[in-house]
Amino acid sequence: MMNSLNRRVRILSAGAALALITLAAPQAFAATPADTLVEGFAIDDIITIDPGEAFELSTAEVTANSYSKLVGLDPADTSKVVGDLAESWTVSDDGMTYTFKLKPDLKFASGNPLTAEDVAFSFERAVKLDKSPAFLLTQFGLTGDNVTEKAKATDATTFTFTVDKAYAPSFVLNVLTATVASVVDKKVVMEHAKPMTPSAEYKYDTDFGNEWMKTGYAGSGPYKTMAWRANEAVIMEANPNYYGEKPKLKRVIYRHMKESSGQRLALENGDIDVARNLEPNDLKAIEGKDGLSSTSAPKGTIYYFSLNQKNENLAKPEVVEAMKYLVDYDAIGATLIKGIGEIHQTFLPKGQLGASDEKPYKLDVAKAKELLEKAGLKDGFSVTMDVRNTQPVTGIAESVQQTLAQAGIKLSIIPGDGKQTLTKYRARTHDIYIGQWGSDYFDPNSNAETFTVNPDNSDEGKSKTLAWRNAWDVPKELSDASKGALLEKDAAKRAAIYQDLQKKVAAVSPFVIVFQQTEVAGYSSKLKGYKLGPSFDTNFVHTVSKD
Amino acid sequence: MSVVEQTPKPYSRDWLLSDRPTSRHQARLGRAYVIWRRFSENRLALVGLGIIILLLFVAAFANVLAPHNPVQGDLMNARLLPPGSPGYWLGTDDQGRDILSRLIHGSRLTLMVIVLVAVIAAPIGLIVGTVSGYAGGWIDAILMRITDIFLAFPKLVLALALVAALGPGIENAILAIAVTSWPPYARIARAETLTFRNSEFISAVKLMGASPFRIVLRHVMPLCLSSLIVRVTLDMAGIILTAAGLGFLGLGAQPPLPEWGAMIASGRRFILDQWWVAAMPGFAILIVSLGFNLLGDGLRDALDPKEAGQ
Repeated sequence: MMNSLNRRVRILSAGAALALITLAAPQAFAATPADTLVEGFAIDDIITIDPGEAFELSTAEVTANSYSKLVGLDPADTSKVVGDLAESWTVSDDGMTYTFKLKPDLKFASGNPLTAEDVAFSFERAVKLDKSPAFLLTQFGLTGDNVTEKAKATDATTFTFTVDKAYAPSFVLNVLTATVASVVDKKVVMEHAKPMTPSAEYKYDTDFGNEWMKTGYAGSGPYKTMAWRANEAVIMEANPNYYGEKPKLKRVIYRHMKESSGQRLALENGDIDVARNLEPNDLKAIEGKDGLSSTSAPKGTIYYFSLNQKNENLAKPEVVEAMKYLVDYDAIGATLIKGIGEIHQTFLPKGQLGASDEKPYKLDVAKAKELLEKAGLKDGFSVTMDVRNTQPVTGIAESVQQTLAQAGIKLSIIPGDGKQTLTKYRARTHDIYIGQWGSDYFDPNSNAETFTVNPDNSDEGKSKTLAWRNAWDVPKELSDASKGALLEKDAAKRAAIYQDLQKKVAAVSPFVIVFQQTEVAGYSSKLKGYKLGPSFDTNFVHTVSKD
Repeated sequence: MSVVEQTPKPYSRDWLLSDRPTSRHQARLGRAYVIWRRFSENRLALVGLGIIILLLFVAAFANVLAPHNPVQGDLMNARLLPPGSPGYWLGTDDQGRDILSRLIHGSRLTLMVIVLVAVIAAPIGLIVGTVSGYAGGWIDAILMRITDIFLAFPKLVLALALVAALGPGIENAILAIAVTSWPPYARIARAETLTFRNSEFISAVKLMGASPFRIVLRHVMPLCLSSLIVRVTLDMAGIILTAAGLGFLGLGAQPPLPEWGAMIASGRRFILDQWWVAAMPGFAILIVSLGFNLLGDGLRDALDPKEAGQ
């Protein structure tokens, strides 16, 4: 009897001890490795990591940390451009030819030497592939036929770039800081190129490694991308061949985490070092905790929803105007985006040249109803909105749904992940799309062009700007003003043109701009040097170290 | 000597319990009374019935009962208020909408899902099961193998796949749940049918020249009904949970519909600081599911004397 009791006690106590161990274990092993930076980040918008094709916000950060460009923004003062691969550059007197001299002894992560030949190849590849971001380069007059002439290597370290007009040099250089101008390793890329059958749409007999590069890597940045697994993770490792300041940490992992509260919990438990998509309430909670800090930076990103002009109801100018009166800007600013954004109603984000801070619209249901009646839609209408199912866009979409309902407009929300909604948007098959726009380069022309230029409004249009995506046939006067500003060398005059343009666009465009993002990140105080940049391709991680 | 038969007063207790009913009508009422007596002996079953009646009442008078508009919130002034705030008994959600009003209106959606699923799935299961059980042979083999195929998939996964294919929305969710929930009913109906098909009364009907169609419809199906009703009632909790699960995954009701599962999904973001946003619809689902389970349990005891004492 005594014996059996003892046995039971033993089993019980062993069980209790085991339970205690398993209970204590997560805390003991939760810390991330000392040589690895782990970021919790919603990366569901990544559809490719090929810099010649990628045009998404999360991808911009990945490519910025793994590829180098000729020039980059000066992180200390974003109005300046500094050399990255380029040691120096000159502009010819007629303002058309740019000559870049590369730094000596550059190497790719693969160990291949990086020469002007690779730079020329990267330009040729981006132009010939003609994916979404190609317009950044083709706007300088590059085409598949002349790109080898206009962007060429004159010797191993000299690259010349010829543009078709005498643009403001700062504009050209700013554009070259965009992801699409990243330099790829010609040898590695062409090893993985797949033969193609030339057709009317695609004239070349190779895919320039595009298929392999969707998940592959051929760059020279501080980190090399080891793997991207959709909706799971991006894994990067330090590039030993990097020519600049060596990365401080050996490995960087972006873990796909959608939920703000999940990121907050993971950050508090030490499972991740940085939480990137915190919502206002979670950010507030983190700010009060020991061992955690937060940082923020205004971003050149604006959140908007846009009305596809192919929809006959949305194409009516009165409806377009009414929509702008049917957003509860004040309440959204005070609640849904508190701390992560500021109400903003013009297409240039604060901080860029000529940005206007005017807020002509506020919630006014009576006025909107009047406008709808004028449009012959007194009883409202039904319409759909494609919404990526992350915050804050879903919250804003629901708020807009409520305010639209007050004017009789029945909005149905179609949720989807980033990939689904974007694909639909780019195919111009949406009614209303809600999303964000991040400037491709830190110059007002980036936004001015995408919001106001649409040279070919057919479905086959080559220039896939936001105006094109929403089938907005932009009034010629506006496009011309936007193009004129581009050649204006006097900064003050250029700013004035943009200010006037913003006012006109706010009045007639099918874009309802809601707010400008302030990017926030909560991070563990163990990190040193963690900073967010002014744009998505300046969120560098190679300067981060860990205690 | 003559025995004076005292006829009990119609509709009195004795009349209902009489073992020699004088009319069909009396027999039916008598049987219903016995079932009710057996059912009402079970206190918990009465609680379940009470919950369901309350649900029906709330759903019927949602417009009168709800203190606020369920889809129009006050984002500016009433966002994420805790339970007990003046005017908002159960608090408000992230769009400033009253959670109580949303729960009340959401009961309609819940009820709609349950009723439609039951109306679609139960007859399909009943027909497939009785036909297959009575016909036997290759008809039985084919129908039961189809049933097996459906049973081989996990219910929720199959429903997910269907909704993903049909597109999110509450109608498609109902369809998906119905399509995935008939096979168990078919199995039960078949098993019941097999126990009757060789019994004397069926043979008697056959001898009188009844067609197989008539036999299945008029003589087999009614006998399968009681066990089917029990099973459907017990399944209703599962249906609610499946619908809520689809809503939670964003595949069921779409915003701003106050579907309980979708409400939990949107409250999940605030679960650390504003627990009530997710907890309140959770309680609602819990209570209603419990109600259906208790009711089903009681019905089984009442309708199925074989299992009553177990």
